[in-house]
Amino acid sequence: MRSGANPAYYVLLSVAALFVLMPVFWMVSTSLKPETELFLAPPRLWASSPDVSAFIRVFTDYPFVDYFRNSLVVVSASTVISLAFSTLSAYGLSRFEFRGRASFLTFLLISQMFPSIMLLIPYYKIMETFGLVNTQVALILTYVSFTIPFCSWMMYGYFKSIPRELDEAASIDGAGRFATFARIVLPLTLPGVVATAIYSFVTGWNEYMFALILTSSEDMKTVPVGIGQLIGQYKIQWNDLMASSLYAIIPLMIIFIFLQRYLISGLTAGGVKS
Amino acid sequence: MALQTQARPSSQAGPGPMPQGGKSPRAARLTPHAIRDQRAGLSFISPSLLVMVALIIYPLGYGLYISFFRTNLRNQWDFVGFKFFIQTLTDPAFIHSIGVTLLFAVLVVLGNLVIGTALALILNTEMRFRTLFRAILILPWLFPDVVVALIFKWIYNPLYGLLNYGLMTVHLIDKPIAWLDDPNLAFVAVVISCIWKGYPLVMILILAGLQSIPKERYEAASLDGAGPIGSFRHITLPGLLPVLIVSIILDTVWWFKHFTIVWLMTAGGPIDATKVVSIDIYRVAFQNFDFGRASAMAVIVFVICLAISIVYRKLVRDNES
Amino acid sequence: MKLTKPLAALLGLGLAGAVLTGCSSQAGAQSTSAPANAKVTLTVLSPLVVETPSGDVEKAYAAEYQKLHPNVTIEFIGVPMNDAYAKISTLATGGQMPDIFINSPEFSAKAKQLGIVADMDKLLGADYLKGFAKAPLDQAKLGGKTQFAPYFTIPTGLLYRSDLFKQAGITPPTTWSAFEADAKKLTVDTNNDGQTDRWGFAMVGTNDGSGGSRFIPVMRTFGAKELVKSGSSWTTQFDSAGAIKAFKLYGDLVNKDHAVPPGPLQTGYAQANALLATDKAAMMITGPHTIGAILTQNPALKGKLAGAPLPHAPGEKSVSVLGMLGWSVSQDSKHQQAAADYIKFVLDKKNQLAFNAATGRFPTRNDALADPQVNRPELKGFIAAQDNAFILPAVPYYANLQVIAGGDYQQVILNKMTPEQAAKDAAEQTKKSISDNG
Repeated sequence: MRSGANPAYYVLLSVAALFVLMPVFWMVSTSLKPETELFLAPPRLWASSPDVSAFIRVFTDYPFVDYFRNSLVVVSASTVISLAFSTLSAYGLSRFEFRGRASFLTFLLISQMFPSIMLLIPYYKIMETFGLVNTQVALILTYVSFTIPFCSWMMYGYFKSIPRELDEAASIDGAGRFATFARIVLPLTLPGVVATAIYSFVTGWNEYMFALILTSSEDMKTVPVGIGQLIGQYKIQWNDLMASSLYAIIPLMIIFIFLQRYLISGLTAGGVKS
Repeated sequence: MALQTQARPSSQAGPGPMPQGGKSPRAARLTPHAIRDQRAGLSFISPSLLVMVALIIYPLGYGLYISFFRTNLRNQWDFVGFKFFIQTLTDPAFIHSIGVTLLFAVLVVLGNLVIGTALALILNTEMRFRTLFRAILILPWLFPDVVVALIFKWIYNPLYGLLNYGLMTVHLIDKPIAWLDDPNLAFVAVVISCIWKGYPLVMILILAGLQSIPKERYEAASLDGAGPIGSFRHITLPGLLPVLIVSIILDTVWWFKHFTIVWLMTAGGPIDATKVVSIDIYRVAFQNFDFGRASAMAVIVFVICLAISIVYRKLVRDNES
Repeated sequence: MKLTKPLAALLGLGLAGAVLTGCSSQAGAQSTSAPANAKVTLTVLSPLVVETPSGDVEKAYAAEYQKLHPNVTIEFIGVPMNDAYAKISTLATGGQMPDIFINSPEFSAKAKQLGIVADMDKLLGADYLKGFAKAPLDQAKLGGKTQFAPYFTIPTGLLYRSDLFKQAGITPPTTWSAFEADAKKLTVDTNNDGQTDRWGFAMVGTNDGSGGSRFIPVMRTFGAKELVKSGSSWTTQFDSAGAIKAFKLYGDLVNKDHAVPPGPLQTGYAQANALLATDKAAMMITGPHTIGAILTQNPALKGKLAGAPLPHAPGEKSVSVLGMLGWSVSQDSKHQQAAADYIKFVLDKKNQLAFNAATGRFPTRNDALADPQVNRPELKGFIAAQDNAFILPAVPYYANLQVIAGGDYQQVILNKMTPEQAAKDAAEQTKKSISDNG
């Protein structure tokens, strides 16, 4: 495993990267094509004269600035809340024996098993009852409820791999339960926290159907709803669609690049054992 | 800060919705330590519990409730009992689509796992360009389902698609293939697109899981003379298991319920080769507006997903012991 | 700071969660009756406002209307067409309907059943209704009551490359045997490399509404109807001799005549129109709006596209379906009269013509239809087709039938079923749909 750079690894990674990049390349190429070159047989790999107007149009012809603002607010908030709640619950689940513990874990799993398309209407009814339709709060709550089960389970797994002696040592030092959790144990699971944070962010960032149903005015719509609107019944705005999708992954890429070093560092065994 | 203010007040409210079973005699026998554990555990889970109870219990109950009615959810509520369940379960087309869905989910999850785990293991080694590869390999996950579906449909297109163009350029085929027109090829083509989208999540989770395995364990194992395969079996795999199991269960459940990519690529065709059960549910609910019947189908899917997870967990438990 | 609000709401929601049992919808806190000049906000649920170029036209109407009526504000709820009915049903179950919403022949039976449509006959007035062309208005009625004000129509016909027809010395086919012969003739190898690179007919062969809504009118030109009223219930002619011929035609065009570009089963509307735009196909079944869509992809085809009514079987008549959308005022609206007034404004001659110019879809009002802008030579065939329009049976499961037809012609094209078997299968599935909804 630790044999360092094996040439076969580079070959495998390159093949995988090719598999990934081919469709992405096609998106970039499409976004730069004028409408007259979109469907040619055989296809043209690259536009005869690349045209960046789609990338400008996304912001001049559509309110994508608003969509991005909404998505950022909604998804950041839901990620933070979801992470806070799930690390708490995961810690509780991994550290304390209490009645209802197993049922709660099962309940979290079960909540993922009902086809979500049939949850649309009840969610709408709940939000409407509380006057939250067409607000960011409605989407934040929705995404929190979507991501808590997975994040809790994941964090539960990561917490379990941290020896309990560590908590006991801390509590002997006089730290309270919450302090032990927040200052001692949580930092050790940083890779897990980062992975679940990325999961939670990506899930919210790309969610379409609930955002469509729970918002109505242009100033509350999110990026996927905006992208979905480029797919008309009779016509797909291909180049605008691709340009906006490429914009849409930029925040995700930034977050990922920023966070990915924590995926790797985090835990050293020495820290645990001491 | 938000955490603390959240945890405290709700700790009192915590036991409310829990199945406390009244002041049972068992509670009296609890040691002070156990009582502390009970309260601490409940207060830690209470924020999540509140959200989930508020936002999931009602929709689930609602879904179950309306499956017994012929209803448009507004002014028509005709009680039909188990009629929709019986009709659905005796419909060969529905049974067929459950079969298609199972195969679809199993193949996608298998693909995600194999590719995701392999890449995570490689990316976990010290190597050059690791950061770059990691950033590239995560990309598919970041694109919305809609975009993934449309781009793959286009790539598979027999005339102006990239795939045929590539294969013809290198003379692997001499005539365009209509990938999505052949029932078997279409199924495979859809599965591949879904794996493209799905493996990075598994990869990331396993990568994070691998990082939580203390390095000393590997060192100790190699001192004991364990080879790379041995240390994978005895250290990596058990270390990953908690994360892996849940990933597999949820990944299976999610792909079992998956809708968007299949719907946009093939709408369930050709004929019904890719007709996953979510397409049925969507059509019944939002094209026929037969919400009760759609809900009955959803409840059946729910039960199947539940069964899948029970089987998985049982398998794991048997393995562990 | 954005965080504190959701957190507070979250807590509130959590605590109130227990109370959430009946969950009956409360009516919004809107003013009950608005005096003549009070501020009025009209919400309009429109799928067209999020599409180009129709969106610009709709926003322009709204802006102009607000200028004329300073007390009125128009607020759009833009939803892509593919999700519009999901959104409307959700809003309807929540009692939060917008004042004006999009409606269509496919949806109107359901909308009526949901009780969300106001009395359109009363709101629009008998005199005003007389100004609509007969076919679209008939299609907008259910049980004699108008369900929506028809906004535009897309009569289904045969779109063809007039230049290629002239070159080949043929005229638009009126029978299916002529159509097959023409399709074969137009399937050619233009650059003599031994491979066909232009096909006669861009078949939309997906097993969804897009494909089914083309097959069903074709089947009707063979004299077979997907649904026929018999007494108080419905029956189907999917297994009649005419339907078998229609299934056979689809199979033959692909497998015998080889007149269809590769991959028909995945060719949806957008792909078919790209085939025409890129000079890969010479005919397709569609409406007049496709001309504009093709020209934006390939301006060189200007003047080379024209429409004709669908061919038919000997002894039968050509038919057409009116793809159409219309506007309904919501039963729950507090401003029904103002909403109706706005709809009339949208449908006045000037605005109908502006919409037609931008989108190629046909107006529905007689005054606009009579305008020379609509009566261009290349559109003659579609205007003729409009007169052959049949009324879609108003059953809530109609979309099912399109999917059933789609699945079964795919069986024939893939040689998994004979036309007879496919017809029988379609009939059985249709009967099941009828009885499930009986």
